[in-house]
Amino acid sequence: MSPIGQCIVAFFFGSIVGLLVQRSRFCNTAALRDAMLFKTYRNTKALLVAMMILTLGFTTFLTFGEGNPLHFDVGLNQVMGLFLFGIGMVLAGACTVSTWVKAGEGNVGAIWALLFTFIGMFLFSLLWSFSYWPPAPGTMTGEPNLSGLQLGYTNAATLQEKFGIPAILFGLVQFAVLLGIFRAIRHKEQRTEQAASARMTAAAEQRTVAD
Amino acid sequence: MELFKKTWDPILALSMIAVLDIFMFLTVGAWTVGGGETMMTGLIAQQVLGDDLARIPFWNLVFEPDPTYWKIYISLGMLFGAIVGAVLSKEFYWRFPRHLSEWVMITIGGLLMGIGIRLAFVCNVSTFFGLTPEMNLGGYLAMSGIIAGAWVGSLIYKKILEG
Repeated sequence: MSPIGQCIVAFFFGSIVGLLVQRSRFCNTAALRDAMLFKTYRNTKALLVAMMILTLGFTTFLTFGEGNPLHFDVGLNQVMGLFLFGIGMVLAGACTVSTWVKAGEGNVGAIWALLFTFIGMFLFSLLWSFSYWPPAPGTMTGEPNLSGLQLGYTNAATLQEKFGIPAILFGLVQFAVLLGIFRAIRHKEQRTEQAASARMTAAAEQRTVAD
Repeated sequence: MELFKKTWDPILALSMIAVLDIFMFLTVGAWTVGGGETMMTGLIAQQVLGDDLARIPFWNLVFEPDPTYWKIYISLGMLFGAIVGAVLSKEFYWRFPRHLSEWVMITIGGLLMGIGIRLAFVCNVSTFFGLTPEMNLGGYLAMSGIIAGAWVGSLIYKKILEG
């Protein structure tokens, strides 16, 4: 596909995503924050379902050598970077998706967050130009690079190559784990609902006695 | 329009996004946001600094400014789709953070997100909708980071909320 074709596909995809996220009020920040802070799981469940579908979809196509997986070496910088990102998204009240979506609703705070995300990226580009870490994509080899604190490149496709087991089987294991987490959340919600309705019934009975 | 009067079910909405994301994975690449934002940063910086930008090695070795980088258009699309959704459901209006503390939190939060994305090469979207479903080791590393970060962030947030 030509670069312009890719841009058109990307814009079309983004537009539908923006509409769906705006109308469903999905928020990735809330999916993590609300589960930890308020023990509510509306967004967490949606995130888990999407990840289950994607795991099956991606690993099925990777089994047949199809698809365009992200290709770069990973290591300590993913843990550190997303740790900072995690703090940042809770403080800003929005992640990369919801800053764009909330900006589209006229939320000036979200536009401000976006502006400072850009500034943060630029500051990092200055820092990188001194440290040269994490290694630039051009110098990545796919192998563990301990001096660069990186572990190389591994995904369902490389596992298939290495062990001769179809990628989809690894995908099914991950699907089962995600489903297990989803079901555990559902159980927890049902228990909370039952406890709430039991309290309501008890309260109603007490009122009847008082009458 | 009746459809735009109520909130859509997030599980249904995210399932639809997941199916579209598989289509993206097959044609261009999975859903991602951080890369497009970095490219936008580079393009804006190029407007401001001109040729001087090339003296910062990052913009030669990691991200060379290129307006035809497809990831930019995912973000612009999301902005457009959200405006359409907000206008059709009459939810578009200008809203501002009220307190100084909110402005400060958003500023620090935005900076941390920008630095974090570049340090990790991925944002939260590539973590949950790209790397992890591809079973890339980086997905699990990034998830452990973001969960720990969100937890620390929630503690700070709670402290500030409580005064």
